[in-house]
Amino acid sequence: MAGDIPPQRPRKGDDMAGGTNKGYLALSYLIGGIVVWGFVGWLIDHYVHTKGIATAIGVVIGAAGGVYLLIRRMGS
Amino acid sequence: MVSSTAVGFLASDFPPDVGEFFTPALFGADGWLTKFTLFLWIGTALIIVFFLVAYRSPKLVPSKSQWMAESVYGFARDGIATPMIGHDGVKFAPYFATLFSFILLTNLWAIIPLVQISPNSHIAFPVILALISYFLFIVVGVRKHGFFKWLKITVVPSAPWYILPLVIPIEFFSSLIVRPITLSVRLFANMFAGHMILLVFTLGGFALFGAQTFLLKPVGILSWVMAIALTFLEALVILLQAYVFVVLTASYISGALAEEH
Repeated sequence: MAGDIPPQRPRKGDDMAGGTNKGYLALSYLIGGIVVWGFVGWLIDHYVHTKGIATAIGVVIGAAGGVYLLIRRMGS
Repeated sequence: MVSSTAVGFLASDFPPDVGEFFTPALFGADGWLTKFTLFLWIGTALIIVFFLVAYRSPKLVPSKSQWMAESVYGFARDGIATPMIGHDGVKFAPYFATLFSFILLTNLWAIIPLVQISPNSHIAFPVILALISYFLFIVVGVRKHGFFKWLKITVVPSAPWYILPLVIPIEFFSSLIVRPITLSVRLFANMFAGHMILLVFTLGGFALFGAQTFLLKPVGILSWVMAIALTFLEALVILLQAYVFVVLTASYISGALAEEH
């Protein structure tokens, strides 16, 4: 049965898949930060009629948050 | 544009468009049976029959088909589940093996001659696969930790309290909203683009070969050679995407099972 298969050597592909995973995680943090807080800023703009200032602040804060999470997760 | 008659059985005009992905109905009053349905069924049937036959009378010295089936399962268990999740990963190995063989085989239709379109190039199929994996890693996490602890592990990163309001929405977005989307879109887009590239080079070959200028005919042949070369590249993409989908599912499950990050 399947249990009889000898343990296999670590595959080269594992590094690649880990890299893919990290890459997508980094991307989702960076874009996610901008999208989430940019959206919050846009909502504020929309209801308070501030013509884009809140969106701009939200995008910058979100980008900062995304970078912070990224460093926190992968920096060490 | 090349007329449909010049292209013949391919029945397509040269710049291929999204319409190529809506194949004509094969059966049924409202056309419910298409090439996609048909080859999805055949693919599923092939997997079921293959594994049933391979394990019908398992032997200590495996036959060739048993060896192949064991390799697939062994790869899912020892190549993906155990290294990524650890000892607990073994119980997910059957799911990974099923997912891997299903995606691999449905992707493989993209380069099987005369089929040459993968069900996964319609986004509905990758979406369902991604949703299964999505609910799996949520349910696994909730069952292991309880709902609130799971939510805390998933959404609250380790950071000073005054940064938390800033980063919790980002973490939520990144782990609970983006994951199923990227999982499905990655598979869909790869299969869609792969089919499109093969179409461009194949139909482009017909267009160039059928051109009035004599000098363009060799370029048409070059285009077909490229189509064959890209089919081999597509084979690599097919294998890789099946692998990446399973590895990312495993990585999400291992994240849901982890104590803290």
